[in-house]
Order: sequence, then C-alpha cells, then structure tokens
Amino acid sequence: MTPLILLGIPIGLAFGFALQRGRFCMNSAFRDVIVLKEYTLLKAVGLAILIQMVAFAALDMAGVITISPNTFFWGANMLGGFVFGIGMVVAGGCASGITYRFGEGMVGAMSAVLGLILVGLMTTMGAFHPLVIAIRGATTVTLANGANLTLANIFGIPHYILAFGIAGVALIIWAIRSKSSKGSTKEAEGISVGTKIFKKGWGWQATAIVIAIIGILAFISSTAAGRSYGLAICGGYWTTIQSLLMGQNLIGWLSVMLLCTILGSFIGAKIAGEAKLRAPAPKVLIQTFFGGCLMGFGAALGGGCNITHILTGVPQLALSSILNGAFIIFGCWTLAYFWFVRPMRNL
Amino acid sequence: MAEEIKPNETLDVRGEICPNPDVKTMVKLKKMAQGQILEVLVDYPLSVERIPGNAEKNGHKVLKVERVDGPNHKIYIEAQGGQK
Repeated sequence: MTPLILLGIPIGLAFGFALQRGRFCMNSAFRDVIVLKEYTLLKAVGLAILIQMVAFAALDMAGVITISPNTFFWGANMLGGFVFGIGMVVAGGCASGITYRFGEGMVGAMSAVLGLILVGLMTTMGAFHPLVIAIRGATTVTLANGANLTLANIFGIPHYILAFGIAGVALIIWAIRSKSSKGSTKEAEGISVGTKIFKKGWGWQATAIVIAIIGILAFISSTAAGRSYGLAICGGYWTTIQSLLMGQNLIGWLSVMLLCTILGSFIGAKIAGEAKLRAPAPKVLIQTFFGGCLMGFGAALGGGCNITHILTGVPQLALSSILNGAFIIFGCWTLAYFWFVRPMRNL
Repeated sequence: MAEEIKPNETLDVRGEICPNPDVKTMVKLKKMAQGQILEVLVDYPLSVERIPGNAEKNGHKVLKVERVDGPNHKIYIEAQGGQK
C-alpha cells in the first residue's frame, strides 16, 4: 500500500464540501427537469463534464494522466444504468447525493448507503455475481486490439480533437443561448465572500467549476497512487467494507477519498449550520434502503455509479459511460414520471 | 416591520427526502384558495433554496423565508388559487 493513497484526503474533503455547498445531486438534476421544470443542477452537471473533457484530453496529451475508459458491456451498461436510475429516485439521491446527505446527518441517506453497500457487495462478489458475469460476458465489445471503446477511437478520430471539438461547440451554443436569454442572476448584494462560500448554497456555475477542478485533481492524484481513474463513489464504499469486514486489503486512494468525502460534507454542513441528525418516517427509511439496494445492484452490474460514469467517464468519451449514463437518466425519468409527474398532473 | 404572518395551514415536511418537500408544497398550494397562507416547515437545504423560486414560478407569492435553527426553516407562501 503506497502512502500516496493519502492524497485522497484533501480531494475527498474538498469533494464532500463542494457537494454539500453546491447540493450536487444528479438525481435532483435529472429528475427535476421533468418534475419541477428546474434546470439549475443539470447545467452544473453539464458544465462540470465539459470542463473535465477538455482538461482530461490536455492532461492525457501531456502524459500526466491516461484516458481510461471503462469496458463497454452494452447489456450490463443498459440494465445496470436503468436499475440505478430507478434506485436513485426511490432512494431520494444519487451516489453523490446520498453521500453528502450522509455527512449532513440525514438518516434516510444513511439507510440508502447501507442498501448500496449490501446489495453492491452481493453483486460484485456474492449471490448475484454469476448474473454479472453472464450479462457482461455476452455483451462485451472492444476494439480489435482489445482497447476499450470511446467515441473517438471507434471512429478513428484523435481523442483530443473530438474532446476539444465537443467542448467548443457546446461553448458556442451556450454563449448564443445565454445572450438571447438575458441572465437572471439574482446574486444578493452586500454579502461577504466568506458568507457566499461557507453559509449560502453555491450557484450552479461555481459548483460546476469547483467540482470539475476537484475531478481533475482527483484523476492526477489517483494516478499518482496507482489508480488510473478520477472521481468515483460506490467502489469506495465496497472496498472499505470488504477491507474492514472481510479482512481483504483493498484500502486504497478511493476508500480514503470516499471516507473524507463524507467528512468534508459534514464540515461544510456544520459551518453552514445545516448539520443535524434527522430521520424520515420508518417506512421512508425502508424505501431509501430499498432504493440503495437497487443502486448497489445497478452500479455493480454496470461498472459504476453516476459519478464513475457521468462525471468521470463521459468526459473521457467512454462509450460505456455514455450508454450507462443515458440509461441512468432513462430509469430516473421513467419512475419520476409515474411517481411525481402523472399524479401531479391528475390533481 | 415585524408583522406576524398568520398561516391558514401548516405543512410539515421536516425529515422528508428529496423531492417530497418541493412536490408536497406545490400540491398543497394548488389545493388552497386564493389569498390563503401556507406555512412550510422544512429542513432539507436544497428545498429551502428551491421552494420559493418554484412557488413564484407557479404564480404564488412568497411572503417570508425564516431560519428557525440549524437546517430548520419556515417558508410562508400566499396561494394564488388553483395555479398550475
């Protein structure tokens, strides 16, 4: 075990703090587009992806990191993503959402984490593992040379050209749109910078930029510790529990980072006066636990949660992550439609 | 200045998970008559930030957002009657 895994400490603390201050939850981001016609968090997710897309490509060119797309197993990506998307609506938060709310003291999020760990481990190494092997085995596709698929290498385009191209086009569209719809920034005046950072929830631009910077630093520091990938969450829970409960020596950069993420969120919530143990009704606790179970199964089958795939994989143009991410959104929207949109419409 | 707001109804969504505080508030407001005041008790930070904006977007009038202690807030909204 290299001491460089301790580089996960500052990354985790900063990540947890930023998640809590920015309320960065992809379940809210995706679900509320159809439930509340609310786009703020979605914009934060989009911008964080674009910034990382450019940075990862540049750092790969400079030899600092290596673009490391996850394996494309379309059946597992689709089913895993869909189940994860449903699970996060049931749990009331995505992997980052339940993790930062764990730090805030929300017991519903803690029970979701419990479900995610339990069924996640059953799927990565227990009763459901043969199913994973079968689905992945039947649907894995790689390039002829064994390389994992990206949007760039399947078309034979240099990675950096496509990454810079997508980010450039998105930037131009963004600039045109923001010009035509005059900004409705209602930033409160007369508030100190300290209050804005530590006491108030952050705006979406600040959240996106900070999360992206942490994501970039995470990839660099994780690479230094021998793990060629950026931010992730579920694997951190599973390896920590495997190490603590089963005596397997799996504590690495990701476990350290994840534990510090919870701590960072607690610190952020504490400073803002938002940390408090609070629990929903018992039946909601069971609901969030069940949601966590679905998330655990989906993440373990599909090769990662929304952070692994959408925040870190999509910027690497990984085909597995693009497909998995699309099915996370599909699962989220499917249940959100039946649970929230339709009942509200029928009032 | 410190005029006390007298709510007609109170909705306690403390401890509820995302997005129930937002959804329950919007549903409640939709069912209330014009001019009636709803008091929402909420402890979920994201909802504290979003309920006022969503209520206004749906035509209701936000009268006050008051921090009680820690994450606990009270939001007072005047319903505009059967809004979308």
